[in-house]
Order: sequence, then structure tokens, then C-alpha cells
Amino acid sequence: MFVFTIRRILQTIPVLLGVTILVFLMMHLVPGDAAQIIAGEAASQQTIEQIRERLGLNDPLPMQYFNFLLNALQGDLGTSIQSGQEVTEEVFSRFWVTLELAFYSMILSVFIGLIAGIISAVRHYTLTDALTMIIALFGLSMPNFWLGLMLMQWFAIELKIFPVSGWGSPEQIVLPVIALGTAGAAIIARMTRSSMLEVISQDYIRTARAKGVKERYVIYKHALKNALIPVVTVIGLEFGTLLTGAVLTETVFSINGLGRYIVESIQARDFPAVQGSVLVVAVIFIIVNLLVDISYRFLNKRIDLN
Amino acid sequence: MKLSLNIFRTFFLAVLFSLVLAACASEPNEGGEETEQDTGAEENGGESDSESSNGQDLTIAWSSDVKGIDPQGSNDVPSSNVQHNIFETLVTQDENMDIQPNLATEWEQTEDTTWEFTLREDVTFHDEAEFNAEAVKASFDRIRDEDIGSPRAFLYEMVEEVNVIDDYTVEFVTEFPFAPLPSHLAHNGGGIISPDAIEEDYAAMEEGEDPGSYIDENPAGTGMFKLQEWDSGNKIVLEKNEDYWGENPSLDTVTFQVTPEDLTRVGELETGKSDIIFPVSPSDTSRVDNMENASMYVQKSLSLEYISFNTQKEPFDDKRVRQALSMAVDKDQIVDGIMDGAATKAVAPIGENVFGFSDEVEGLPYDPEQAKELLAEAGYEDGFSTTLWTNDDRERQDIAEVVQQQLKEINVDVEIEVLEWGAYLDSTAEGEHDMFILGWSTVTGDADYGMYPLFHSDNVGEPGNRAFFENDEIDSVLEEARRAGDDAKREELYKEAMELLVEEAPMIYSHHDDYLVGVSDDVEGFWKHPNGIFQLQDVSISE
Repeated sequence: MFVFTIRRILQTIPVLLGVTILVFLMMHLVPGDAAQIIAGEAASQQTIEQIRERLGLNDPLPMQYFNFLLNALQGDLGTSIQSGQEVTEEVFSRFWVTLELAFYSMILSVFIGLIAGIISAVRHYTLTDALTMIIALFGLSMPNFWLGLMLMQWFAIELKIFPVSGWGSPEQIVLPVIALGTAGAAIIARMTRSSMLEVISQDYIRTARAKGVKERYVIYKHALKNALIPVVTVIGLEFGTLLTGAVLTETVFSINGLGRYIVESIQARDFPAVQGSVLVVAVIFIIVNLLVDISYRFLNKRIDLN
Repeated sequence: MKLSLNIFRTFFLAVLFSLVLAACASEPNEGGEETEQDTGAEENGGESDSESSNGQDLTIAWSSDVKGIDPQGSNDVPSSNVQHNIFETLVTQDENMDIQPNLATEWEQTEDTTWEFTLREDVTFHDEAEFNAEAVKASFDRIRDEDIGSPRAFLYEMVEEVNVIDDYTVEFVTEFPFAPLPSHLAHNGGGIISPDAIEEDYAAMEEGEDPGSYIDENPAGTGMFKLQEWDSGNKIVLEKNEDYWGENPSLDTVTFQVTPEDLTRVGELETGKSDIIFPVSPSDTSRVDNMENASMYVQKSLSLEYISFNTQKEPFDDKRVRQALSMAVDKDQIVDGIMDGAATKAVAPIGENVFGFSDEVEGLPYDPEQAKELLAEAGYEDGFSTTLWTNDDRERQDIAEVVQQQLKEINVDVEIEVLEWGAYLDSTAEGEHDMFILGWSTVTGDADYGMYPLFHSDNVGEPGNRAFFENDEIDSVLEEARRAGDDAKREELYKEAMELLVEEAPMIYSHHDDYLVGVSDDVEGFWKHPNGIFQLQDVSISE
């Protein structure tokens, strides 16, 4: 287990290098010039040239990349072109907000998804099953920004139960988390249902029932644990979707999070900010995947991680 | 084998994720659309504690964050709006765009190229430095310093030197006679920064910091508000400057809150979380008007929305083709259909509130029949095909579709291409386009700024003349007009320039946008300047 973890961590190094190179090249090869964007439509050629020189955009590309890497290793992601602030600082202050948002949404998704999935599977081909799956299909099909706007219209503007926007207080958290977590709940519900159905029809479940084990115990102890492996995989992937989905949710509810920051930075061709934040997101993604792999072992001891 | 699959999967997902993010960059972003786009918003307190009881806290919700507080470090309207409250200029423009005293009490053009300003004597900066002629010199020396790389340096590039005559008299020497100098000094870029702060900023630069890093964090001006807090990407809070030299404002604090989504801003206004919201999308104005607690405030702007030709490319190198296309576009459809009436049809590049505008100049009429004749004369009886570029702005895309439809009537086949903002600015500066839609804001309120960058042959490409328009007659009129000392003479020259520009039609002058602001009924004394700046000095909140 320990060896496995160490090995996986070492394996992330080439992945991270690859990600940084790709992001770096993508940002530098797309048309658009940060100096021009900073200077604005009305600036003179000379002004733009001065800004370009100041930002180091005239250096050769490989040199800019190695400077970035060297500094990143020392925890310095550079200075944002747009705001002139430290990228490390800007990214991490927003990162916690997005992580919180994604985390609460994840909890909501897993909680509702699992319950709905299990109920559906246990009562399969009944009205309850059909209704749950129809609701799940709706949840999956609703774009999260639309759901966000609808929730805002009903619960914030008409009924005035929750605040319209912002992040921090418990009331402010409710609507964005529902908006972001619904699709995930739907996916997890559908995944849990099909995985459970598969497991329930297997021989060892029939054996367990034949032995007279209580139905509740059969479902939760024997069936669920084995049915969870594909679900956990989906949850891991879903976390990435949540971070991306957070872009829209953050925009709708005016949350100053990382998703919005990355999009705004890309639009402003703010290279250091984009590179820095994508690096942070990639690291998180890798960690979540590592956790998913490790959790397989807990769910099924026969899986050999080495 | 299993492990290498895992690596592959993780890598693939990480790449996929960054691709998704890159794709998101083409989402419309209200804030980044136009460099001089304004953004404003209103009042009322903080985030979670928005129910503050002492009352005089204004919250303005707007679409984009400021780029910086250093008035020499950025050139966008949201930043100007914050800077305006912290830093003051020597002179200022009133609602009619007339020049009024501010930090300078009087001024005089002593020779063709020299101007003398007498300064106010009882003024101190927020950091307690004293305001005097040396401070003025320090500010203008800094903005013209190449190491600073100020995006606003172009406003003062005609200034050759700034001389201290005595403690409270300062002299500006320009390279050539430059009549609009006071309008340029009234621009936010001419805000006077504390000389102590400037010194600290230079010291920070010595240590490898970027220019403006000290001033952004410790902005010391002479204005009626001081910086309390800047939570980047979220909000800026200003507090009253108790030692202000003029009349103190009624407001205790002003919060500029970033709310990027249009409908969320409307919701914040309706629930009272924000007191002023900006911009309101034209399609949401009736909703705001129907609110019990708020209403719309509309102000004509200094900006122009235009559909430009690449005048060096066939067939647009022929004046008759440009005129034909200008006559084939019905601007009423754009103003009423797309802007919901929240705009004024344009005749020429400048609107009625810009100095130099003449109401005697007539634009090209909407006349598809004559347009067809002109095309035939130019040898395009059967029309031609071309492309029209726009960025991913909602209104511009609608305009593109209207133009496409209308040009079809004269057999011109238009293909619309939507480009992402950064790429759009870049490619139009390079002249890769046939036709494109963009805006220009005459921030100084003087025709020189509205025409010289857009049409003088020195400014082809990136500096503003993206029509790649080169015309000796226009060049000489614009040069003469910026040098002429006498207002009447200048007005006459700009009238001539307007006539020439209508005749030459380097672009279709579409319309001048209105600023659409949603204002709570509790807010009193609010107005917005045509240059896009919120005027907060007389604002108070009634309960």
C-alpha cells in the first residue's frame, strides 16, 4: 500500500510536466496578446511594446517556460498580468472557495444519489423506481446555470428565503450547492441503481438470502459494498466535472472562485494566472484520482494495488 | 499494465479538463468586451451584513472587477470609476463637458505650446503628503516614464516637460500646439498621486516588483474617498476621507461589488442587496422599471458602435462600395430592434455631447435603391461575398445578423465569423479582416480623441485605425484641428472632418450606446457622467 502510494506520487511528475507544457503552449499559440489587452484599443504601438518588454513577453518561449517551471518549484507562480498580484496568493484564496463549493455539492450528490439509487434498485420495476429515474433524468438534463437562475428567481427573489448571491454564510451556500450538485446526484443515482441491480442478481446474494440473512443486511453489507466500486469511480470523475461546472455556478451566484478566475484570466491572456491555476487544479485532480484508487482496496480486499 | 493505464487515464482527464476550460474562454464576458466599457453599480453595505443600519453605505453591483487602482496602470472604465473617487485631476469636466477647476483654480495658455496652472493651496494627500507643484510634476513625469509602461501614456505623449514655477504654479510645455490639453488633463489618467507613494513605488520596482504594485495597495490621492479594502475579483470598499478639502460626501462607504451575471444583478437590485446595478441589459430594462423599489437611469454615452471596412482590401478600397453598404444598413432596426431604443443613431464618429460635433452634418441616408446603383457603378452589379467579424458579445452578434440580412437585399453575401476577444483585437489590428464590429469611446469628450486615433494614417492598425484608412485630406484637417487654439476655428475644422468622414465612409457609424443603470429609489443625488464615471459626491441614502 505504502509502496503503491509512493509510486503513484512519483508517476504524477511526468503528468504534471505534460500538463504545464500543454497549457503553456496553448496559451502562447492562440492569437491574442496580453500587452494589447492591457493597453486597450486606444494605445499606441510604443506603449504596447513597453508593456510587452516589462512582462517579459519578448523572451523566447522555452526561456519563458523554464523560468515559470523554476519559480513554480519554489512555490512562486509569478505575478498576474492583469492585477499585478501574486498568482499563488490569488489562486489559493479562490481555490478554497471553489473546493468548498465542490465539496458540499459532492456530499449532496453522493447522499441523494446513493439513497435514490438504492431505493430504485431495491424496488426495481415499481412506480417508485420509475419516478426516481425520471427525476434523475431531469436532474441530469438541466444545465446548472439555468437551474441556478431558476432557484434564484424562486427562492431568493420571490420567496426571499435565501440571499441572491455571494458566498460565506450558511444561507448563501444552499442555492449554489443545489444548483451544482443536482446533476451529480442524478448520475450517481443512475450508476448506483444499475450497479446494484447487477450485483443483486448474482449467486452469492441468492446464497445469502437462502441462508436467511436479513434483507436489510443483504442489501447494505453484501450488495452495496460490491456495487460501490463503479460508483466510486464515477464520484472521482464527477469531482472534476464539479470543478468545471463551478465556473457557471460561480458566475451566476457571484462567487469569487477559481473557475471564474481561470476563465477571466484566459480571456485576458493572463498567462501566469492560467498556468498557475491549471497546475493547482491538475494536482487536485491527480490527488482525487489517487484517493479513488486507494479506496478500491477498502471496498474489495481482493484488488491488488501493486 | 494496469498502472500505465492509470497514468494514461489521469493524464487524459487532466488534459481534457484544461481543454474544457480553454473552451469556456469563448463564453461571453460582459466585462472584457470593450476596453473603455463602463461598469457601474451601487450601494449598500457588505456581503452578509448588507442590512447595515447606519444607512450611508452604498453598494454598486457591476459586471467586472477593476484592473488596478493606480490611475496610471490601467485604461478601462471600471478602474477609472474607482480611481476617480480616490485621485483628483487638475481640472474636471462638468455634465456638459465644459472644463471646470478642480485641483487647479485657474489656468492660462501663455504661449502656443505652454500652459500655466495655478494650484489649490489647502490640499493634502491621504498619506499626509502635501499637494503642490512638485507633486503635479512627479505624477506627470511618472506617467511619461517608459519604465512604467503606462497604458495611458499616450494621453500625455505630446507633453514635453512639466516645470515647477513656484510652490503652487506649474507649467506644461507641449511638443506642438495642442488645444485639447485641458480635456486630457481632466481624464482619470491625469489623477495626481502622492509624491511619497510614487517614491515608494519606484523603490519597490528597484526590488523587482512591477510598476504600480505599491500604489495599488496604498493608493494615496486627494479625493473624497480612501481605499478601505480591495478583495480582488470580489469587491472594493472605499471609505469617506474626513480631511477632504471640499465638501464632505454624505456616504460613509462605497462598495463596488463584482456580479458578472446580468440577471443576478437585477435580482440583487430587486431584493435590496445592491443599490445601483450596471450595466442593465436592454432586454431587462422593463423588468427594472416595473420594480417597486427601483427604476432605470439612462445617460447618453461618449461611445460609438461601428461596423468597419478594411479600406485597403478589395472591394472596400472603392469609396462607392463603402457608401453603398452604409446606405443599405437600416440603423433604426439596430437601435429599436436590438438596443430596445437605448441608443442614438450615429451620423459620424462623434455624438452630440462631444466637443466638435456639428448638427449641420447629415449622414448617408438609408436607401437600398441608391445603394444598388452605387454598387453597379463600382462594377459590382451582381454583388459580392465577404465576411463580417464580431466578438462574442450578445448585442454585436445580433447586429451582425441584422447587417447580414440587410446587405442581402443589395446582393452582398455576408458570412459572419465570431472570434474570441483577444484573438479579435489581434487580428483586426493586423488587418486580416474584411468587415468587423467594434466600439470606441471618446473618453476626453473632445473630437480629437474621437477621430485622430481612428482615422489618421499614423494610427493604422493597433493604435485604433483598424479600418486601415489613409487619406491625406483627413490627415491634414485632423492635424490642423488639434493644433488650432481657437474653439470656433476647431469646431469649424471638425465639422469639415465629419463631412469628409461621412463622404468617405471608412465605416458604418451605427449608434451611440446609452448607459443603462438600475438605481434603487432610496438613492438620492446620483448621476452618471457621459464619460462613464459614477458621480457619488452628492449621493445619499434615504431610509
